[in-house]
Amino acid sequence: MSDVTPATPDGPKPGIRHVRLVIALAIASLLGTFAVYTAFADSSMPVLGVAQASTGYEGQKVRLEGKVTETTGDAADPRGMRFTLQDNVHSATMPVEYRGAVPDAYRVGRAIVIDGTYENGVFTAVPDTLVTKCPSKYQDKATPSTSSDLS
Amino acid sequence: MIAALVLGLIALAVVVGVAWPLVRPASAADQLDPFTEGQRRRLALREERDLALAALKELEVDHATHHIGDEDYAELVADYRARAAEAIRQLDAELPPVR
Amino acid sequence: MALIGQGALILALLLAVYAAGGGLFAGLGRDRRFLTSARNALWAIFALVVIADAIFLYAIFTHDFSFTVVADTTSRSLPVGYMFTAWWGSQAGSLLLWVTILSGFSLLALRATRRALGELQPWLIMILALIGAFFLVLLVVPASPFVTQLAPADGVGLNPSLQNPYMAIHPPALYLGYVGLAIPFALAMAAMIAGRTDARWLVASRRWTLAAWGFLGIGMLLGSHWAYTEVGWGGFWAWDPVENAALMPWLVATAFLHSVMVQERKGMLKVWNICLISGAFALSIFGTFLTRSGILSSIHAFVSTNIGWYFVFALAAILGGAFVLILWRLPLLKADQRIESLVSREATFLFNNLLLVGIAFAVLWGVIFPLLTEGFGSVRETVSTPFYEFFVIVFGLPLLLLMGIGPLIAWRRASLLQLRRSFLYPLVAGLVAGGVMIGFGLGSSWPGVAALSVCAFVTVTILSEFVRGAAARRSIHGENWLVALSRLIGRNRRRYGGYIVHLGVILFVIGAVGSSAYETQTSGLLKPGESLKVGSNVLTFEGVERTRGPNFVARAAVLNVTSDGSNLGTLKPAKRSYLREQTTSNEVAIRTTLTGGDLFIILDGIRGDGAVQIKAFYKPVVALLWIAGFFFVGGVLLCVWPDQREARRILRRYAEEPLPGES
Repeated sequence: MSDVTPATPDGPKPGIRHVRLVIALAIASLLGTFAVYTAFADSSMPVLGVAQASTGYEGQKVRLEGKVTETTGDAADPRGMRFTLQDNVHSATMPVEYRGAVPDAYRVGRAIVIDGTYENGVFTAVPDTLVTKCPSKYQDKATPSTSSDLS
Repeated sequence: MIAALVLGLIALAVVVGVAWPLVRPASAADQLDPFTEGQRRRLALREERDLALAALKELEVDHATHHIGDEDYAELVADYRARAAEAIRQLDAELPPVR
Repeated sequence: MALIGQGALILALLLAVYAAGGGLFAGLGRDRRFLTSARNALWAIFALVVIADAIFLYAIFTHDFSFTVVADTTSRSLPVGYMFTAWWGSQAGSLLLWVTILSGFSLLALRATRRALGELQPWLIMILALIGAFFLVLLVVPASPFVTQLAPADGVGLNPSLQNPYMAIHPPALYLGYVGLAIPFALAMAAMIAGRTDARWLVASRRWTLAAWGFLGIGMLLGSHWAYTEVGWGGFWAWDPVENAALMPWLVATAFLHSVMVQERKGMLKVWNICLISGAFALSIFGTFLTRSGILSSIHAFVSTNIGWYFVFALAAILGGAFVLILWRLPLLKADQRIESLVSREATFLFNNLLLVGIAFAVLWGVIFPLLTEGFGSVRETVSTPFYEFFVIVFGLPLLLLMGIGPLIAWRRASLLQLRRSFLYPLVAGLVAGGVMIGFGLGSSWPGVAALSVCAFVTVTILSEFVRGAAARRSIHGENWLVALSRLIGRNRRRYGGYIVHLGVILFVIGAVGSSAYETQTSGLLKPGESLKVGSNVLTFEGVERTRGPNFVARAAVLNVTSDGSNLGTLKPAKRSYLREQTTSNEVAIRTTLTGGDLFIILDGIRGDGAVQIKAFYKPVVALLWIAGFFFVGGVLLCVWPDQREARRILRRYAEEPLPGES
């Protein structure tokens, strides 16, 4: 490779060392921001099945997964909607109170995901976090969110 | 039955098409020329030359649009001109390329 | 028929393996016969895949429900237009589309690189054939489109959410993007295997990368528009893993597009660029993987996990192969020059890269976090929107700023005096914009004000670039403004195309910020005659209307919209019941105002007594999100547009003497 760039006799010029330092600092600050945020900000929550959520996670904000076995009420109503969620694998159930948007695919027998807190025997959901899992019949694998509703 | 026949015909056509170039024995003309050291060096020089020339053009635009001041402009122009000249000189010094 | 289709795919797979071997022999033994043979094999693969496509589509259009996939994704009552989209409505069908695009692109890439890149062709064929073979294995073994069954009377039908025009374009656009990244990747790998350290592969791959990047971007925008209008929860991006699947390669490809310019000018960042394109392609495979397997229980658990392991293997092969090649060729990849000054465009691009890769990494972290916590801990944990938004804001704002600073700084070195002059107007614009916004009460969201101020800064910068360039031409060539501007853009397509794309980004940011940080929302239960106020609009409920469509029945709430007394028409948010598919879908009603804001209305429910539950949003300037798409497309087209003079220059450089492998 032809080398037309003149080099200084005593190694890289101080300007270049300075540039390298700044670049290293930039990388360090990006990584640092990332590390600090993930460590200290309360940015994640456990994803639990119904059986797990009823033991040891009282009062904590969690994401609950389960199957709807019965439902009454209207989520758009001030009184809200009450439904029973059953664990996808075991038989444990939990009553859930929900207000907010309900995705089109919601019905008894559908698997759903919802955020909230389990306290005093009832799971109180964060509004608008009800999301249905795609039923296996409609394997729309080519596309993103079909019935995702993080309203 | 028909399916097997159709598939068989397609497979036959494909195999013929793919194997045809291999049927004749290898001759000298089938050699893919290697990338020689000389070619590599000359290519690098041509890239260096073109890089410097393109940079000169861009410098002119940047200077005309006041992105770069007169002093810096003069310094960089001199540098790129030197690079281009050096690259062209080295290219000319090489044996003329095979035509 | 299904047998012929399956047979064609098996044959294509065998040919792909052969082509890979042929390419290898051609490269090692420098035997042109093997090169020709392998190239013929690629043609044959394309023909076979097209035959498979034809059989598959024929089965769809003739309602041949003996094909399991056809029965699972179509029905007799499905409108004809959406029968075509059923092609990618299934896992097998979408993989078939992937392979079709890949084999077509491979042929194009070979044709485009036959001059002056002949030495790379054997290796190019080998790598593209290997990628094709991988997808063909998936199509032959776990995900065949030609599985048959006893034909039921009617098919199950297509998910109603997919039955709209956006879903007809969005997946193919994304696939053109995902597959498009394979070509630059293959070129990079081929260049390394062949030991070619010149920038030929970069120059050859430029248009491919731009086009792929453009398709990914438009694909995401279309998907967002679909989410906004069809899924209708009021937002356009939910940070769903499947959405992130497209975002990650797009971000890395954006970084690559910029750092390539540094390598072209200074011969540095060679290793970084190869890492970037490998990462982009790996993320594109990962993205395809995310939407195919159920490995991440995303909101949409895609049930078939049997192909998960195939993808893990592919990812390992791609990343491992790239790593080994880089290590092997490291001595040849030394930088020609270095960054001399932090106040230079190279430095700006470097920081831009760090930020883009930073955002991509944060998104990747969020996507695999559930996997990591489940694997290394005991409980699966997940992150949601606040996590992603944090990094988009914290890394994105400086990135946006750099977009305004970059154009003002010259390559290699910029003088601070010139910078002060160049920065003055944009800086003032940014500060004034910020002040005005706070004055108008937009200070409620500080990221909003910050982002919009920076947008003002960048816009003035970009516009000043057009003005200064045209002014310079005028003073040198004496042209009038219009001629100067058009010649300026015509002679510097990549630069000004890039600026147009940046303007698109600005519009997008303004639309995103305006519609999320400054939206207003109300909801209420309305009996006939009652009204709801949202922003300056009043919605009066008149009654429920029933209509019938080809495969659905709809009930709509008729709402009369007035603003400051003047009548703006009616909006009819509705609920549709799809008979065959047995589901209901929500159809939101949207009215776009002249200022680009949207009145967005959702019918949450209809009560037995005829009262309706309505949720209404006013989203300022949201239309800018979609208008930005036109700027993206325009800018990319300008960048990609063939330039005869440049093409001649490049050929002179690389083909001045006959280089090996000319054919």
